[in-house]
Amino acid sequence: MISEHLIEELRQLNRVEKLRVIQMLANQIAEEETILANTEYEVWSPYDAPGAAAILTEMLEEDRRRNE
Amino acid sequence: MSDVASFPYVAVKNPRGEMALRPLLPVTLAYGGTTVETTGLLDTGADVNVLPYHLGITLGGNWETARTGLQLSGNLARYEARGILISCTVGQLAPVQLAFAWTQAENVPLLFGQVNFFAEFDVCFLRARSIFEIRPKSLP
Repeated sequence: MISEHLIEELRQLNRVEKLRVIQMLANQIAEEETILANTEYEVWSPYDAPGAAAILTEMLEEDRRRNE
Repeated sequence: MSDVASFPYVAVKNPRGEMALRPLLPVTLAYGGTTVETTGLLDTGADVNVLPYHLGITLGGNWETARTGLQLSGNLARYEARGILISCTVGQLAPVQLAFAWTQAENVPLLFGQVNFFAEFDVCFLRARSIFEIRPKSLP
């Protein structure tokens, strides 16, 4: 939340200083959004791999039969 | 042998420095006379158990003779995976035979998924208390 004190301080800046603040904030937002856009989130969970699950189930069944 | 094993959630930090509690299970894996103590993530959304490549090598697994033909999904889809059976001991519970999709990916965590970790164990996630409990399927 932006404090009234901060808003008052910004209002008292001259034109050049206000432009510098605007530019600094715009650059920071652009940088943050670039970081977010370029971030690859590693989600390793194989949540949809029925073929692999079927092969592993078959391996377990073969192992169970060998040990009977 | 004990009937139920209880474990705390573990606080881990991701690469962006954010903290989160994860159900990381300490286990002992055994394969061909080699044993390794490690931790794996309980991943109820994973169709299969996943074994990272280096851990399979440490256990003495032979990539060349492992079962071929496994196709994984998500980020793991681009890595070849093979099948391997490994004995897994949880706490004081009796060891069970788990089938893993052994992936060539290096930085994937050890994952416990539906085939067949969750077919061998009943798991109770008590997240509000920051613990999870594991019991063998054979218990009533």
